[in-house]
Amino acid sequence: MTSRHVKGVRSSSAGAANVPASYEELTPGQELAPVEYTLDPEAVASYVEAVGAAECRYVPPLAVAARAIASLADLVELPPGTIHASQEFDFSGLVPVGAQVTCNAKVHKKLSRGSMRLLTLELRISDRAGQLVQRGLSTVVIPESPQ
Amino acid sequence: MSVPFREGDALPQLERQVTQDRIRRYAEASGDFNPIHIDEEFAASTPLGGTIAHGMLVLAYMSEMMSSAFGMVWDRGGHMNVRFKSPARPGDTLTVSGEVESVRDENGIVSFACSLSCRNQDGAVVATGDARVRVPVSK
Repeated sequence: MTSRHVKGVRSSSAGAANVPASYEELTPGQELAPVEYTLDPEAVASYVEAVGAAECRYVPPLAVAARAIASLADLVELPPGTIHASQEFDFSGLVPVGAQVTCNAKVHKKLSRGSMRLLTLELRISDRAGQLVQRGLSTVVIPESPQ
Repeated sequence: MSVPFREGDALPQLERQVTQDRIRRYAEASGDFNPIHIDEEFAASTPLGGTIAHGMLVLAYMSEMMSSAFGMVWDRGGHMNVRFKSPARPGDTLTVSGEVESVRDENGIVSFACSLSCRNQDGAVVATGDARVRVPVSK
C-alpha cells in the first residue's frame, strides 16, 4: 500500500504530519489525522473501468474504501511488500459521484508474530454532513524491514 | 422486493480474469502503488515470487457479486468480513461464489447471512468470508 497522487482525486490530510508514522510509533487507540478526498467522476470512471463493474450514479462502496486505504500510506509507514490480510466492512450510506468524504482512521490492534507484524486500522468514512457511510477494519501484514 | 433467495441457495457466480494490465489500472485508479503489485522485479525478489493482485481488487469482485445479487441495498447497508488466504496472480481466473446460510424475517426486513469464497482456476481459495445484508421485502 504505497500511495501516490490519483488522477481525478483531490485529497488533503488536515493537520497531518509530513512523515508517516512507523509501526513502532503507533499505539492501539491512536487516532490518525483525518483525510478528506473528493471522488470526482473521472476517478470513479477509472475505478469502474479497472474492476470491470457497472456504471452507476453512486460510487461503488469498494471505490470509496480503496481510496481511504490507499491514503493510509500517507499517514502510516507501510513498506513495499506490505500485504492485506483481512478486511471487514459495514456500508451505511451511498456516496454520490463527485462527493467529498472524510476518512478518520484509528489504530485498532498491533500484533507481532515472529518476524511478522500485523497492524489493524479502523476506518470511519463520513460524508460532508458528518453522516457515517462506511466503517471498516483493515489488517495488513508488514514485512520486518523495508526490502 | 420479494424474498430474492432461500436458505441454501447459491448466489450468482462471478468470474474475472486477473492480468498485470488490470492490476496496473487498479493501482492507478485506487492510488495503491505498492510494488508488490506492479513491480515485477521487486515482487520476484520477495517470498511471493511475483506480482499479486491487490486484496482490495479481489474484495471488489466479492462485493460486486453481492451487489448483483441484492442490488443497491448491498451498497448502502451490506456487511462483509473477508480473510485473504492466497494471492491472486496475473493469469489467474477468479471465481467468486456464495451461499445463503440463513434467512431471518424481522417484520418485513429480511436478513440474509451468506458465506463467500473466491477461488482461482486450480480451486485454491484466494479469499473467504461472510456477508450480511438486510432487505425490505413485500409479502
